[in-house]
Amino acid sequence: MDNTYTHIKETEAMLLNVGTLLMSSGASTGRVRTTVNRIADALGYNIELLITNRSLMLKVIDEETDHFVASLKRTSPHGVNFRVVSGISRMSWRVVEDNWNIQQINQEIDRLVALPHYPRFITLGAVALAGSSFCALFGGKGIELVVAFVATFAGMYVRQESLKKRFNPYVSIFFAAFAASILSGLSVKLGLGESPELAFATSVLFLVPGVPLINSFTDMIDGNVLNGIVRGIHGLIIAFAIALGLLCAKFLLNI
Amino acid sequence: MDLISLLGKGMWAGFAALGFAILFNVPQRTLLIIWGLGAVGGLTKFLLLGLDVNIALSSLVGASLIGVLSVYAAHGKQAPPLVFSIPSVIPMVPGAFAYRMMLGLMELAGSTANSDNYLKTLAETTNNGLKALFILIAISAGVAIPMLVTRKDTFKRIKSSVEQE
Repeated sequence: MDNTYTHIKETEAMLLNVGTLLMSSGASTGRVRTTVNRIADALGYNIELLITNRSLMLKVIDEETDHFVASLKRTSPHGVNFRVVSGISRMSWRVVEDNWNIQQINQEIDRLVALPHYPRFITLGAVALAGSSFCALFGGKGIELVVAFVATFAGMYVRQESLKKRFNPYVSIFFAAFAASILSGLSVKLGLGESPELAFATSVLFLVPGVPLINSFTDMIDGNVLNGIVRGIHGLIIAFAIALGLLCAKFLLNI
Repeated sequence: MDLISLLGKGMWAGFAALGFAILFNVPQRTLLIIWGLGAVGGLTKFLLLGLDVNIALSSLVGASLIGVLSVYAAHGKQAPPLVFSIPSVIPMVPGAFAYRMMLGLMELAGSTANSDNYLKTLAETTNNGLKALFILIAISAGVAIPMLVTRKDTFKRIKSSVEQE
């Protein structure tokens, strides 16, 4: 009996780990549920799962002995990481097809979590490139693209630094929006290019809460209305933080 | 609309998608496809806009195309569809409309209700805000629905059941 108990305990801890990792990396509620169910099925357990935005509750039931273990785990706010989402999804299929045991799964999870992010300057450069792409899409040319690039680069840098210093995530977004719009606002003030206000409007677009808003809609039409609302409000607060940063820069520069 | 500027917009949409893909830390093997999906979605949207189609509808078509293609890409590259579709649709977010709506709201808050300009600003702000809202809904629906339709039987299972027959 002790043996079964420790096995259920281990399964419980592993499944909660998978679920919270997926949730904090930007998977939708439906995907978290399917993946955790798939792994539990493959290991031969019945589970009940309650998913909220900040924590997960899981009950693992052993059908033969009718023993069960239930516990809660907090979802750590890590930020979007699709490499983890993709890795766990691949792993869940290998659990089903190759009959992996818990040790193998835990090793794979450790490997996935340790996978490197893109180097910092590549991320900064790519996001800045996205900023100038936005400017080009709205009709900017030449010097406006450069302004959008520089402003986005600086804004993203400020965001990374303030997250590193453990500021509230919304406050970090406010700082980033403020930094980006002060820089691009200066170009409006100096009258660089034909329509510098394009660079001003697009330099904060790298902050748009795309993942929360799309996941919010996915959750809602999937029936997870409560999670959808929570994600939607989260996206809305981010949008407000961006607006506030933009406003402050606008008033300071008087444009 | 001339072809060169259309292709140019597609290319820029691809780069915007690529930037977000790197920000979201997608696996390297998916980067090129995300650039392509972003470009195809952007091209479709701007092509329809050039044909005088409503902007929300053009975004819906572009995003649905990305949604459907990402389900196929997901099978080929073994990564969930959202890894492809979310970065690819981000170039379509209605940033400019949302920005103008915000400016309008601020102007409304700062002026008196019976001035001449008030009604004009109110109309413009409502228009921009509604456009932003509907484009956002169109984008999310376009991406989410193909994923939801194929989720019950994941793509892997559909394919293996076809092979068994």
